[in-house]
Amino acid sequence: MMNPLEIFAVESAIASEQEFYRKIIEDNLASLKLAPAIGRIKVMLRPEDSLFQMAILLRDVGTRVTTADIADVEAKPVAGEIIISIKKEQYIPELLGKLWERYGKANISQPDRWTVAISTDKAEEEAAFLKDMMVADPRHRLHENLVDFAIRVTPEGFRVRYHLYKGNRFIFVASEEVFKREWVEEAEAMLEELMKGGRT
Amino acid sequence: MAAVLRPYLYTGGVHKHGLLIELLEDLGGYIIQKVVTGTEVNLIMLIPEKDVPVVKKQSDELLGMMVEAPLTGVEIAVISPTLASHHLPHSACDVAEYLRHPGANTNMIGLARGMGRRVSLSTDYERKLINEHDIAVFTFGSFSDCIVNKKPKLFEGIEIPIVVTGGPDLKTEDVPGADLYVGDIGRTSHRLRKIEEVSALDKLNEEVGKIADNIRKQQAKDPLAVLPARAMKEIENQVPEIQTVLSPAPLTLQLNGLRVKLPYDEFHERLEKLEFDEGVTLSELANILKSKMKNYILIKIKSKSEVGFAI
Repeated sequence: MMNPLEIFAVESAIASEQEFYRKIIEDNLASLKLAPAIGRIKVMLRPEDSLFQMAILLRDVGTRVTTADIADVEAKPVAGEIIISIKKEQYIPELLGKLWERYGKANISQPDRWTVAISTDKAEEEAAFLKDMMVADPRHRLHENLVDFAIRVTPEGFRVRYHLYKGNRFIFVASEEVFKREWVEEAEAMLEELMKGGRT
Repeated sequence: MAAVLRPYLYTGGVHKHGLLIELLEDLGGYIIQKVVTGTEVNLIMLIPEKDVPVVKKQSDELLGMMVEAPLTGVEIAVISPTLASHHLPHSACDVAEYLRHPGANTNMIGLARGMGRRVSLSTDYERKLINEHDIAVFTFGSFSDCIVNKKPKLFEGIEIPIVVTGGPDLKTEDVPGADLYVGDIGRTSHRLRKIEEVSALDKLNEEVGKIADNIRKQQAKDPLAVLPARAMKEIENQVPEIQTVLSPAPLTLQLNGLRVKLPYDEFHERLEKLEFDEGVTLSELANILKSKMKNYILIKIKSKSEVGFAI
């Protein structure tokens, strides 16, 4: 298991420019709250070639979240309703979105902050379904944030972009010139290096 | 010949600040801008040099603060390669905001296609808009290679003094076409508030002040036919509609003219016919043009040698 940002390397021909970019990357990691998700990151700056390369190894960001993970689901067949008692508030927007889609807004009420009530004829069956329903996938959110992060830290003019996101590996290459195959290969090599070099 | 006017910024309570305005009117000075925020008032004013101690005394009585504001009456264009989040709000906005402290009026201009190295360019319209200002401040990024070799093509066609800010520590002569380079203000994603960043902003203000002083000195050799501040006051008196304009600084002073934030088609004739006590009209003393900024009016005052006299 990697520690957050256990490798954080920014390389460029000129040391002071390296520091500017390190700071930009730090600021953007902070504002997108990405630092805990990133294990190792390496950035290569080559302004003279109009080239920006970045390789990232992600940490394990947790698995999919189901309703049972964040709430207690209780069926009340006599009353014809399901009561969901929330335990983790942070996923409420996603949960509500899914519930609205399935049951319609009219059938859902929130008597208080911690409770969601659904009126349905098939309380037992629906409750069983809801318990295993996927509410949120942190990996999806992470992907959006990573792409946003990459675009924010890249010099603005570099609008020819390549990105790869597979498992816990992320590669981003940007330039304003016609792409060269070796640029992507170099970024892949950077990633290989990151995978080998852990804590010693 | 008119007295030499010194620019000052007064900050104090709203209570009795009218006394200061009256005093200034009696002395023949000008209020350039008055900003009231809650119980505080900021006055940017031009004071006749020999009367500065008198105004200072009044300001002390009101327990206000009076500091010199060397960039008063200077309109500065702060130009960022684009308006994308890469350059804004930090650091371009910080630069613009900081330049306002010594009294300048700043306009932010984001070029449509200024980003990148090979692909960056500016349009004719943008260049004309920039040239309406007194000084242009270009806020560039962190790579010296870009600033030295690639970005200066954005300076083509810019006729006013060019100031460049960027990250690396370069000398002004390294940046072709620039009149001044200030380092340590590169691309950032945070507010500029560290010691070295704030010192760099201070240095920027100081050096831009020197550029403005140089322009004023050059101007003194062949003075303007009328002081921009005086034209401003006459417009306030004779075109009351200016009071209803909601834009910040409806009348913006420049070193050699002023911007009037009223629609050109409707008002340019009235401004041309604007009459001074001496019996001359503004159109004799100045060129009244349609500004590239919105539908505003731009007044560029002619020099004494061109008009034959000055008032």
